[in-house]
Amino acid sequence: MDLERELRAIELAWPDTPELRLELAARARRLPRRPLLVAAALLLAALAAAFAVPQSRGAILRLLHLRGVTIERVAQLPAAEERPLGADLGPIVTGAQARKALRHALSLPPLEPPPLHLEQGVVSLVFADRGEPVLLSELNVGEGVAILKKVVSGSSSVVPVQVEGGTGFWIAGGEHVYVLPGAPPRLAGNVLLWQAHGLTLRLEGRGLTLVHAVELAGLLRTGDADTPGRG
Amino acid sequence: MEGRPREEQELVLRAQRGDERAYEELVRAHQEIAFRVAYLITRNAADAEEASQDGFVKAWRALGRFRTAEPLRPWLLRIVANESRNRRRSAGRREHLAIRAAASPGEAAPSPEEAAVGSDERRRLLAALDELPDQARLVLACRYLLGLSEDETASALGVRRGTVKSRSARALARLREGYGPRA
Repeated sequence: MDLERELRAIELAWPDTPELRLELAARARRLPRRPLLVAAALLLAALAAAFAVPQSRGAILRLLHLRGVTIERVAQLPAAEERPLGADLGPIVTGAQARKALRHALSLPPLEPPPLHLEQGVVSLVFADRGEPVLLSELNVGEGVAILKKVVSGSSSVVPVQVEGGTGFWIAGGEHVYVLPGAPPRLAGNVLLWQAHGLTLRLEGRGLTLVHAVELAGLLRTGDADTPGRG
Repeated sequence: MEGRPREEQELVLRAQRGDERAYEELVRAHQEIAFRVAYLITRNAADAEEASQDGFVKAWRALGRFRTAEPLRPWLLRIVANESRNRRRSAGRREHLAIRAAASPGEAAPSPEEAAVGSDERRRLLAALDELPDQARLVLACRYLLGLSEDETASALGVRRGTVKSRSARALARLREGYGPRA
């Protein structure tokens, strides 16, 4: 029995293909990009004003918290060095091991998944975007538990944003430090942090812009049962 | 994809410069295959339509990063398939495909008995395919029902070409078990 030939020979009655009416300008407005930028700009202005007033900083900083992540603004950054994005991410694990650690399906870029790393509950992977490395980290912890820590100086901007319907922050400019458990602090590039798909997610890249980071976030998909992971 | 018409490259270049009409022509050229890929994944025509619409809009926004030397179809299919997976996940349901085997035109006219047997076997084969796990079902559907190349299937499923080969072989073996011998 030649199944391949039999499958090819089947003529299927597919549902009629609808005439897609893209209305590009109108639909683009409904996608998160434009509202996000407007909201980001307004919030950036509000935050910049708030941070200019020293006594209001404590109140603002309490808001800068995502599940599993704290963002702390300090006058003096801790000692940190610049290292490659792929450094100290932990050993390579299989997709099954990563999913078990997260207790959740992974969010992955729409590519053949690069190797997955696991370090103390944080799953990380580095992929190429427009020829530049981008680090995606994922974690799933309960309220009140902080695994990742961002320490930002006064010159960095921390902007609350909405990403794919979830809460997030965009951290850019100035110097900020990324503290991953089990690794020495590292100077970080621009970072988008947000909650989606049941996870807390983090994208980092030197050349990332807010708009592009949000686009990348929108392209992430939840991994199929056996696609992620190697080794 | 080999032999890509020069016309498509020109349309892509125009679309990259913001020409919506050029992009709409590209969409018209690829919407059927994209919709069918979306339908295989979502198993629902309304979801497939929405996924295709959203996928093509996202592709429009990302078109500036598309390399014109590359074939467009796998790139579009990857984006639409990604939208479809997201939509299906949020819908959280599993539906059976409503596609059915149609009469096969172009073949030598069978006798009524042969036609009945052939049609019944196709239905059984489709039913067996529909019962396969998603990964197996999708790789076979993309390769054999939609006629996508290995590269296009790899793009749509977000895996390597080698993975398409190995998954296809395993899926065919599974399908053979489920389909069983001819009566």
